[in-house]
Amino acid sequence: MVKPIALHILLALSDRDTHGYALMQAIREQSGGQVPVQTASFYRHLAKLMDEGLVAEATGRREADDPRRGAYYRITGRGRQVLAAEKRRLLDLVAQMKKIRLSPRKADA
Amino acid sequence: MKLYDWLLAAYPSRFRERFGAGMHEAFAEDYARSRARGRLAACVFLATTIAHALCFGLVERLPRAATFRSFLSVDVRDAIRSLWATPIITAVAVLSLALGIGANTALFSILNSLVFRPLPGRDPQRLVMLTSDGTMTSWTNPIWEQIRDRQPDFFESACAWSPNRFNVAGSGRADFVDGAYVSGGLFRTLGINPIAGRALTPADDVRGGGPDGQIAVISYRLWQQRFAGASDVLGRQIVVNRIPFTIVGVSPPGFGGLEPGQAMDVFLPIASEAAIRGRDSALDGRSSWWLRVMARLRPNQTLEAAAAALNAVRPAIREATLPPDHQKMVAGFLNEPFTLASAPTGVSELRNRFEQPLAIVMSVVAAVLLIACANIANLMLARAAARRHEMTVRLALGASRARLACQTLVESLILALAGGVAGLALAASGAALLIRQLGSDVATVTLDVPLDWRVLAFTAGASLGATLLFGLAPALGLGSVEPHDVLKDQSRTVAGERRAGFRNALVVAQVGLSFALVVGAGLFVRTFTTLMTTPLGFDPTRLLIVTVDQVPADVPLKNVAAFGQRIADVMATIPGVARASLSHITPLSGRNTTNRVVVSGGPALSRPAEQTAWVAGVAPGWFETYGMRVLAGRDISASDVADGDAVAVVNETFVRRFVGPQTPLGRRIKGVGFGKLDCVIVGVVNDAVYRTARIGVVPTIYLPMTQFGRVPSGFSVTAKLTAERVSIERSLTDALRLADPTLAFSFRDYTDQVRATLVQERLVAMLAGFFGLLAMLLAALGLYGVTSYSVSRRRPEIAVRLALGATAGGLVRLVLRRVVTMIGLGTVIGIALILWASKFIGALLFQVDARDPITICGAAAVLALVGLFAGWLPARKASRLDPTVALRG
Repeated sequence: MVKPIALHILLALSDRDTHGYALMQAIREQSGGQVPVQTASFYRHLAKLMDEGLVAEATGRREADDPRRGAYYRITGRGRQVLAAEKRRLLDLVAQMKKIRLSPRKADA
Repeated sequence: MKLYDWLLAAYPSRFRERFGAGMHEAFAEDYARSRARGRLAACVFLATTIAHALCFGLVERLPRAATFRSFLSVDVRDAIRSLWATPIITAVAVLSLALGIGANTALFSILNSLVFRPLPGRDPQRLVMLTSDGTMTSWTNPIWEQIRDRQPDFFESACAWSPNRFNVAGSGRADFVDGAYVSGGLFRTLGINPIAGRALTPADDVRGGGPDGQIAVISYRLWQQRFAGASDVLGRQIVVNRIPFTIVGVSPPGFGGLEPGQAMDVFLPIASEAAIRGRDSALDGRSSWWLRVMARLRPNQTLEAAAAALNAVRPAIREATLPPDHQKMVAGFLNEPFTLASAPTGVSELRNRFEQPLAIVMSVVAAVLLIACANIANLMLARAAARRHEMTVRLALGASRARLACQTLVESLILALAGGVAGLALAASGAALLIRQLGSDVATVTLDVPLDWRVLAFTAGASLGATLLFGLAPALGLGSVEPHDVLKDQSRTVAGERRAGFRNALVVAQVGLSFALVVGAGLFVRTFTTLMTTPLGFDPTRLLIVTVDQVPADVPLKNVAAFGQRIADVMATIPGVARASLSHITPLSGRNTTNRVVVSGGPALSRPAEQTAWVAGVAPGWFETYGMRVLAGRDISASDVADGDAVAVVNETFVRRFVGPQTPLGRRIKGVGFGKLDCVIVGVVNDAVYRTARIGVVPTIYLPMTQFGRVPSGFSVTAKLTAERVSIERSLTDALRLADPTLAFSFRDYTDQVRATLVQERLVAMLAGFFGLLAMLLAALGLYGVTSYSVSRRRPEIAVRLALGATAGGLVRLVLRRVVTMIGLGTVIGIALILWASKFIGALLFQVDARDPITICGAAAVLALVGLFAGWLPARKASRLDPTVALRG
């Protein structure tokens, strides 16, 4: 199992390489604000993902971009594998969930 | 942005190089966003960012191998042992932390109750306040009745209330209990269920009483205090302003009303106001603005939607509640929109008054905590220096630096936690003490300060922050210990100490902060004493005020003035009373009557604020009782009867603004707008304060009680005493009882009334003074500590100097030179701090500038004296050193 914020980082990077702050913003949008993203905790998770070899620094900075933004990050092959495995796991889970019927109850009856 | 560079220093350099630029960018972007959402959001963002960066940064520094179990079993045990080995340092550290954290927690718990804590009951986030401009607004009962009858159209429900002081004594000396008139739906709207009996319902809130007659709900507190928690309280009666009410319910313990700081112990239906106030009832008053209105939104209903629904029927509501005599302002009245403001924490007069002073005192105590932390950091550094040998041996035996650093951090953490727990205990009693100071006998303040999660989180945060502040330096200092050097260092040397720079810098910072606090204390104390000694324009000594809130019901309205005069005459006959005079209100009582007026032949004044004059109804001889002088014309006399010529006496300020240089006597004052005032100036009296000393003298019109326009059913009699109050209180009570057995009245010393207007200033002066003193002591302690430590390190050097013929005086100078430099640098920092802070505290000062040179010089002198003394003690010790002993040892 991958932590929600880590999953969101991988998910955001699966689409395109990007720099740190844009990544944070992407996660905020993806999760609709459900996953709290704070600079310090975000970078701790990013560092962990890099240590585990799931994310790497992208080479070649885009010309027009502001150098203050720091490095660009990309998802590695292993990162994609983990993401794919996670996707299968979640889809399985959803399939299981769909089979059961939850009887709706009144909230404060 | 600089700040974030500092924060990033908490991270190991490897991490910083890798992510520093990106983190910097992210911080800048998020900070800009939070600022766009307002100052509070920015503050919250900064606080969480600092906490996060420090925590995560330090976590990154931790070696991955340090597991939690080894941490618990070894580090905590070792830390406790080593703290136990130096009991005095430990005790001093814990005590100063307890004081610092305790003071911070006490203030925060008050701020919490006043500002942050939501109202009890169900889902307070959905409560909104009805206002006209976003601030606290009162409404008339006719408007409330309109909203009440239509509430299902706009909200889930709505309620209204008006805080009130009720006299529960029947006749004689009044016995006041704070309470409120509340609408029948109040308890349901708030979602509060009584713990005994039933809540008020809309059926009770009808004129003449509901099915159960006149009923009341009392608070848990009143039930415990006045009824000793009796189980048969339901069905008993409570007499409020001579009307018996049946108690039908007791509100739960956590519910103290809707306005933090304002106790509500008796809840009466709004409709019962007619029974209590009789002919003064405001139930049908279309210009009596006395009710606050709150509503509960439906789930998922937005504030805007509710406001829009409400404003859609605004014309109808306004049309039906048009005040009389309002012709000129009808358009404004009809078109003024209703605004809704989110009000999950209720509303509070006290909050408005004390939010800023409390925030300032809060920053003062935060500075004190910083100073205490600097002291402890110094102690810990000294301790670390003394343990260099031990640490070196451990390093040489193979312990990792990170491990040792971890242990010193654990020691700091244990200190901080002990300080935090002790501080929490101190805070509970400190907060209670402070709240007593917020009130006066004119207006009692009741504020529950429970230890909820916010307070606990604050204390935990303060303790952790303190740990980082004083624990980091010794832990990081370990990084530079070289076993080889230190072990060699054990040999004797005459070299002076090294690496004292950081400790000196800490002391300089301490001196700077405490200097700023001492200056602040000086400013606030001067503000308070200036206000206390400001001439009021009358003589407040030995004045006793007897207030009658409501005349007996059998006195006809037109005879109220005569009735009051009779009471005043009765009082004047009592031995010990020099004179006694009637008035409708007394100066500085907090009650105001204003009128917009113009004077014939006077300068043209167009703005409403310029046209406003304050009005007081007084009887003949009133000026003499207050020691005021009639400067021109005549005093109000007994011949100014109700149907005689309408006359007025005005003060000098009134003449200056409304009349100008011509003679004021004989000119006609006419009311503007609502006012029906129409009278002729017959006299001028000297300027006297009407509202508060801080506001100063306002244009005042004194009217004869007999001609006072709005007939009041309450009045005050001010007695000038020639004897002590205690000795005549009894005979005064008896005489008033005799005059009218049903009369209810209360006594108050005039000086108490003056003091009540200065509660906020006194509180700030007292706290700033106390904490300024504490800060100075802590800084002196820091100076002493650092100087005596450096002297002890320099013993060999000093001994050599002595042996070579240095004089004692020369040595003292040598040591003091450094002390003077530190004080000097600290003072410069302190002055810079004060200049920066002057814009925040300026509004609280009175007749003294925040950059007042006298105060600054005075504070500098005091601080220099105290600091020099703190430095002189170790200097003298050094000069008495015996060189032979020191060099041999």
